[in-house]
Amino acid sequence: MSYFIELIINGALTGLMYSLVAIGFVLIYKSAGVPNLAQGAVVMTAAYVVWLLAALGLHIVVAIILGTVLMFGFGLLTERLLLRRMVGQPIIMIVMLTLGLEILLRGIGPGLLGAAPKSIDLGIGLSPIIIGDIFINRAYLVGGVVALALIGAALLFFQTRLGIKLRAVSDDHVSSWAVGISVERAVGISWGIAGMSAVAAGVLWGSVQGVDWTLSTLLFPAVAVAILGGIDSIWGVLIGGLLVGILGSVIPGYLDAIVGGGTRDVVTSLIILLTIMIRPYGILGREDIERI
Amino acid sequence: MKWIIQHLFAVTLVGAASFGVASAQEQPIKFGLLQDFTAVYTFVSGEYNQGQRDYLTLINQEGGVEGHKFEAIVRDTGNQPQRGIEAYNRAKEEGAILFDFLSTPVSRALVDSVLKDKVVMITPVHGRGDASDGEVFHYVFPTMATYWSQATVLAKYIEDHGGLEGKRIALVHIDSPFGREPLPVLQDLAAEKKFELKAFGYPSPGNEQSAVWSEVRRFRPDSVLIWGAGGGQPVSVREAIRNGIPAENIFSVVWLAETDAKNVGADIMKGVKRFEAVSTGTDTPILQRIKAKVIEPGLGAGDATHVGTSYYNIGVATMAVAVEAARNALKSEGAPLTGEKLKAGFEQIKDFSAEGLMPAITITAKDHQGGGAGRVSQWNGQAWEPVSDWGSAYQELVQKEITKGSQAFKEGK
Repeated sequence: MSYFIELIINGALTGLMYSLVAIGFVLIYKSAGVPNLAQGAVVMTAAYVVWLLAALGLHIVVAIILGTVLMFGFGLLTERLLLRRMVGQPIIMIVMLTLGLEILLRGIGPGLLGAAPKSIDLGIGLSPIIIGDIFINRAYLVGGVVALALIGAALLFFQTRLGIKLRAVSDDHVSSWAVGISVERAVGISWGIAGMSAVAAGVLWGSVQGVDWTLSTLLFPAVAVAILGGIDSIWGVLIGGLLVGILGSVIPGYLDAIVGGGTRDVVTSLIILLTIMIRPYGILGREDIERI
Repeated sequence: MKWIIQHLFAVTLVGAASFGVASAQEQPIKFGLLQDFTAVYTFVSGEYNQGQRDYLTLINQEGGVEGHKFEAIVRDTGNQPQRGIEAYNRAKEEGAILFDFLSTPVSRALVDSVLKDKVVMITPVHGRGDASDGEVFHYVFPTMATYWSQATVLAKYIEDHGGLEGKRIALVHIDSPFGREPLPVLQDLAAEKKFELKAFGYPSPGNEQSAVWSEVRRFRPDSVLIWGAGGGQPVSVREAIRNGIPAENIFSVVWLAETDAKNVGADIMKGVKRFEAVSTGTDTPILQRIKAKVIEPGLGAGDATHVGTSYYNIGVATMAVAVEAARNALKSEGAPLTGEKLKAGFEQIKDFSAEGLMPAITITAKDHQGGGAGRVSQWNGQAWEPVSDWGSAYQELVQKEITKGSQAFKEGK
């Protein structure tokens, strides 16, 4: 029983860590309607930026704050230089553009800074929190708390004036223009915020595994989180993260011993497939019904 | 007049002969180092390739071999077989007679080509293990301990330090052919030595392994072998320690280096052991010469702080073996070198240790692995420290797997 509980707790915390990546993906989709396949590489870039600032001698807290500012600027620039040119283009081309950006970032980071994994030390101890026979991963616990805080901040943000503008933009670009909302600015800000959230994801995952290109592979579980929770729902990021994390921990926890292999990716793939087949808009996503 | 003509003729002949010799001497021996600098093997390829190029520069600085200098053709394959094939064809046209892809998928994709084209492919400390059978894989040379041999060396160390019988050994591996590769020899060994072996796989690239390690902890292993690479390795070490497994009981495949210790925490990783194919540090004569003749004059191929690290030194050792093979080939077969002559040179390598940088290897027409020796080293908080002598173990079990694999290849399976 304690094994089962441990799998659930650590799975939930891992899922919240995935939510850190997914929140940037959802923010961009929510405002611009673009599935950003570069979000994993943006997380990797954010981790490289913070590592670089820390390597230059800045305290890790200062490096994270400055990194957050820089990644906000990075998000704004990405929208301004790449995405804005694509207005009016077929969505498939915009998706391909984000895929190209992903490949570009994955090449540039390790290319400029060296391919060997870099270290980010957040000072989180390795010793687990032990409750009976249950070991709770301290790093993931911190990650889970940060994820909850970010999701809470995102929910609050969408109640602010700027947040309401972003929601309006996500509802309908043309109507937003009609009432005087700068859609371009709103979409740019959402890319900037996604860049900021990538710092939290990059730093926390980077402290666990080191900073290298493999951080970009976090896109896969993050996409599963977004699809399951609802690709345009902040609450969905929370629910989706918890479910993807728990299912990806409990099922392989029992199944791996029987089939002799890592089944977690199979579970994640099935989550994506079954959600799209059964409930394409996810658990909390908005179902758009169009009059034709 | 006749005397003058005779002497002029003689001088012309000598001149022509000298020019011919000079041309041959000036012709460099080309090695294709076509590796993955941008995808999966990035954790190792930078330092490894730097070591290879620095060693070739050292040999060139010292005048080459029999007057022949070496040229490295370096290209990125991105771990993609199709890009590897393209890079291979270009390098072959440019005259390369030896190839090192440092990528299991690319190497596997090009096995048939190198066998057909009769050029040498080296696969040091990575796949494929069955290529040790030189009678089937005529032009493929692992030249160092394969993953099977690495597993047996680690098992022998555990046996020598507390025994294997009745013990529980966990193999925690990346869920890929590479991660599963040591399983057959360890299973055979478990049956022979009566210990309990259990394998635990985690999905690639291994950045999240918490559920696997909860299961490993409940198995209560006496020793844990971690079989991964890159970012997954520090995660494995961290999770093992977090789950109460003493660092001293953690044993790694060759892919655990100084950068991983830094990521885990240099003090936290103290006590972890790994298989070592090549000495680390700069105390050996070759590394001393590289420092003096390549690094100090500013001829190095990369960051000077990499000199002496695990992967840099493995790169140096691979080229030391390749240059030794070229030396043998030039002596016995003569210039210009071809893939066939170089193959013969490899098969003449006997008790070669690169001046103490690596265990002495002997490569024959039958054994392209070179004996499968290595040693165990332990992280002491600052560096890797050898805790066993160079040697190989249970090669009869390794040979069984080699034969099984090579026969399957021969039969087209």
